Amino acid sequence: MPVSLSHFLVVAGLLLVIGVFGIFMNRKNIIVIMMSIELVLLAANLNFVAFSGALHDMVGQVFTMFVLTVAAAESAIGLAILVIYFRNRGSIEVEDVTMMRG
Amino acid sequence: MYTLIAVLAPLVGSLIAGVARPVIGRHAAIAGSIVFMLVSAGAGILAQLGGVQAPLHIASWISVGSFTPDWTLRQDELSLAMVAMVSLVSMLIHVYSIGYMAHDKTAPRFFAYMSLFTFAMLALVTANNLLQLFFGWEGVGLVSYLLINYWYERPAANAAAIKAFIVNRVGDLAFAVGIALTYFVFGSISFDQIFANVAAQAANGYTLFGTQFPVLEVIAILLFIGAMGKSAQLFLHTWLPDAMEGPTPISALIHAATMVAAGVFMVVRMSPVINAAPVAMEVITVIGGTTAFFAGTVGCVQNDIKRIIAYSTCSQLGYMFLAAGVGAYPVAMFHLINHAFFKALLFLAAGSVIHAMSDEQDIRLMGGLARKLPVTWLMMLFGSLALAGIPPFSGYYSKDAILGAAFLAHTPVALYGWGLGVFTALLTAFYTARVFLLTFHGQCRAPKHVQEHVHESPLVMLVPLLVLGAGALGSGYLLRDNFIGANFAQFWGPSINVAANSPMGALDAVPSWVAMAPLAAGIIGIAIAITFYVLAPALPAALSQQFGGLYRFLLNKWYFDELYDWLLVRPALRLAKFAWRFGDEQVIDGVPNGLATLTTDASTQTVKLQTGSIALYAFIMLIGLLGFLSLFLWVR
Amino acid sequence: MTSLLPILPALLLGLGAMALLIVGVLAKPEPAGFTTWGAIVLLVAAALVSCAAPDTLLFHGLLKTSLFTRFADALVYTAAVAALLLALDYNRKEGIARFEYPILVLLGVLGMVVMISAADLMTLYIGFELQSLALYIAAALARDSVRSTEAGLKYFVLGALASGLLVYGISLVYGFTGTTSFAALAGLLGANIGYGAVIGLVFVIVGLAFKISAAPFHMWTPDVYEGAPTSVTALFGTAPKAAAMALFLSVMTGPFGHLLAQWQMIIEILAIISMALGALAAIGQTNIKRLMAYSSIGHMGYALMGLAAGTEAGIQATLIYVAIYVVMSFGAFACIIAMRRRGQAVEKISDLAGLAAQRPGFAFAMALFMWAMAGIPPLSGFFGKLYVFSAALNAGLVTLVIIGIITSVISAFYYLRVIKVMYFDAGAPDFDAVPASVNFVMAVGAAVTALFILLPAPLITAASAAAKALMG
Repeated sequence: MPVSLSHFLVVAGLLLVIGVFGIFMNRKNIIVIMMSIELVLLAANLNFVAFSGALHDMVGQVFTMFVLTVAAAESAIGLAILVIYFRNRGSIEVEDVTMMRG
Repeated sequence: MYTLIAVLAPLVGSLIAGVARPVIGRHAAIAGSIVFMLVSAGAGILAQLGGVQAPLHIASWISVGSFTPDWTLRQDELSLAMVAMVSLVSMLIHVYSIGYMAHDKTAPRFFAYMSLFTFAMLALVTANNLLQLFFGWEGVGLVSYLLINYWYERPAANAAAIKAFIVNRVGDLAFAVGIALTYFVFGSISFDQIFANVAAQAANGYTLFGTQFPVLEVIAILLFIGAMGKSAQLFLHTWLPDAMEGPTPISALIHAATMVAAGVFMVVRMSPVINAAPVAMEVITVIGGTTAFFAGTVGCVQNDIKRIIAYSTCSQLGYMFLAAGVGAYPVAMFHLINHAFFKALLFLAAGSVIHAMSDEQDIRLMGGLARKLPVTWLMMLFGSLALAGIPPFSGYYSKDAILGAAFLAHTPVALYGWGLGVFTALLTAFYTARVFLLTFHGQCRAPKHVQEHVHESPLVMLVPLLVLGAGALGSGYLLRDNFIGANFAQFWGPSINVAANSPMGALDAVPSWVAMAPLAAGIIGIAIAITFYVLAPALPAALSQQFGGLYRFLLNKWYFDELYDWLLVRPALRLAKFAWRFGDEQVIDGVPNGLATLTTDASTQTVKLQTGSIALYAFIMLIGLLGFLSLFLWVR
Repeated sequence: MTSLLPILPALLLGLGAMALLIVGVLAKPEPAGFTTWGAIVLLVAAALVSCAAPDTLLFHGLLKTSLFTRFADALVYTAAVAALLLALDYNRKEGIARFEYPILVLLGVLGMVVMISAADLMTLYIGFELQSLALYIAAALARDSVRSTEAGLKYFVLGALASGLLVYGISLVYGFTGTTSFAALAGLLGANIGYGAVIGLVFVIVGLAFKISAAPFHMWTPDVYEGAPTSVTALFGTAPKAAAMALFLSVMTGPFGHLLAQWQMIIEILAIISMALGALAAIGQTNIKRLMAYSSIGHMGYALMGLAAGTEAGIQATLIYVAIYVVMSFGAFACIIAMRRRGQAVEKISDLAGLAAQRPGFAFAMALFMWAMAGIPPLSGFFGKLYVFSAALNAGLVTLVIIGIITSVISAFYYLRVIKVMYFDAGAPDFDAVPASVNFVMAVGAAVTALFILLPAPLITAASAAAKALMG
């Protein structure tokens, strides 16, 4: 069975869904949420690369490079914020991040 | 350019006195206000001397479709004459107030209001479109309210201020509707475009309640109702006498010289439209003549010095409308300018008397002040003679011209106005002489301790009096040629539209007995006053006994306040009470209270979603995303 | 040099931020005041330069400058300068006067400028991320406060999810059209519309709606507004909103302009939910910052109304609305920042009680902003609503206008309640003296809000020219 564009798209779609579910199904740990966000970005990257190949167009791959860079910066900032949050609160349980509500 | 300076300088002065006072202190605040008023007056006079110029565009204001009123200063002769008069009189009254308000704790507030008023008034007279005029119109109305209520601890001042505000709103409503209708009909509210298209609209009608009215008549009458409110004409006059609760300089500036004349000014400004509306002109004539008469009769029996002068203002404004109603707009303007000088003079002189008498205003408790207040006496004499129409004082020229014009118009309505006008001239002379004699001659009837304190006012109050006195003496003679004489068409230029059939051209052709009638009436009036209050002091009391009904009718100002109370206020209160008991408490409160409960419930429910949980927030975002996706696919 | 001029504002911001960063790291003690003033100078310089920049297409169609971008840039610069002025004193008193904050603001503004001028999905994404990353950090600026760090964390997680969805949407659009350039997209999508591209568009809309906090993507807003330091909240409430709304306008009318029939309904729904939520949820609030959060959600709903109209008049109305909103908003935040009692920042609405007696000027300014936000004439807020309502009416969106009016009435309740507390409730103790910089921002905001009616023409004509430039 040849691997076609639609296979890539389905995999990317699955990654997206897994990532999204990871964000709101997970009740334990904020690190898991960060990983889920990476999955979402990965899904987009996979799309870009697959489309780039199928369209014979380089723009998708250039875009992927940008997304990778941004993802790296994003994780760094996210983890930094998480660290200072942990210092203040002493916990990274998702259910504890509810000081402000209403 | 001078016009712009004249208009904006008072605004700057007002901001200095009002906003910067806590920083710069009382004296600097007042001084700032005075200095900028001096600048304004100088610029105003220079602008008048510089002559007519094209409108000065300052900035665009609103631009919605074809509705594009701009901030533009109109600089035709009508505006320039008003600018010069308003800035000059206002400046004099500012100076006078330094002395008058010297003991008042919040005097900077007073000066801030006065300067702000001057700015609004100048914006009104230099308006180049109806909306800008309305801006000034409401501006002066607002400041008038603030100043009537200047001593806001006094319940009477509160009541008077509220009354002035509400009565003026009645007129303003008609005015606003008139502006809207003008825009609807002409497609513009800029004066030039309105005036250019008057002829094209003359034949058009406007359907209201199934009847067809000529559209220009409707507009003219609506605008005139606005003018009636501002100029205290009959039916909407009740606020003016009460407005005397404010400090006397205010009565002089706002409620005598300038703001109340805005109605006359507006009618003159709209002369091209008014000329095309003959019925409206008749209405103006009738209202003007009747007001002059009505206010004159009431003035004869009042005892409060300021109220008497207030009724005389009402009466003189009636004269101006009478002139405008017969198409003699330049004569109306002539009387307006003369009146500004001598009425400001009268009020300021009255203020000087009140100041000397420890705030006593009842003329029955005055008397014999001539020797103690010689300068005030002389100035009051000038003002009184001008008001009574005795030559060579200014009032003589303009009142004569008004009555001559009314006679020449020859329509029944104009003759009605003329007859009342001549009789009112008698009344005017009578009550003016009455005030003068009771205040300055005979025995002093004041309590002892008041008598001891009587003193002439300081120089800072007397100098403005002298300047205005010179104006009352000279303005009529000096301005006559340009304003209404042979040069009038050239002087006013296109700023006033004088119809071909108006009596303007033939003022010299008045029969001599008509020309003499007002003067004769004036002399008779003075003679009666002398008889009553010098020769036979017992006579007035006897007469008021004899004609008790008439006396009470006049003393109670024709029962207008009572009539309105019975006709409008009480039914409104009863209706309000009913509406409150039934409509408000049960229906209106019921519905919104129910709605409010519903809203707060909805609010509580919405906020419940906001639990603070990241997972839930993300979930709701995804629900939104999925909702939109399915909507998208479904809609396609 | 002429070719460099259009990009010069962005260069100034970027290079200036680097330079200030070096100064900040090397200088002792921490030069927070210096970097703040430096950032303000840079922003003003960038604003002046951007006024002189010509209309052009840069870097092979990646960026585009026009009257529209200059209008939006000017709003962003103004808002950022106001926010920095407000932060000057507040951050010092709160002990968070770090030199990094102005630099973060500069980088955030750089991101906003890039995304406003974006003419390609790639620049859109880069600008979007740059400003988001800067703002995540800004929200957690008070790093010893559990509330501030929680706000930062929440904003980060949800923002990252939103930008993940955005980039996924972009990938779909790219895949199904084969291009990321706005101009090319506008040409392609006019002819044939594939499912994939349309689904991608929905993802993009979600990402943008998150940034302007339109409901139901608003959930982060109240919590982040409350938790972040007030000076940062003042920034959140103004500059990013203006920038994201400008981006929303240019994306919807540019590359996806031909899909009006498809996205119009979504924008309408966003507007309706936002207006309703902004009106309802704010009623029970006791914290003034939360109140402002819900209020901003509502305001974004009104602003979206102009976009939903999809006409040039609608775009103009939205721009007018956002401009007026920005001024009202930083004015109101100036008042909130001035709420300090005995050295402590207070943020309960009840803390304002009796303010009118003690600080008449302050209370009057706050009352002006509340009246204006409620849309009461003759204040500026009324004209904003007037323009969006009339644009929506002309486009035939009667339901939207009716809902808008009802929600205006409901929201007037909580705005007026603030005024009632200030003027009629018995007094709380007096506030501390208000610093000059805050007073300045408050006075400017109040003057513009109150006097807008006297001279509305410049804004209206500028917005009209900007809308024309956008719709071409």
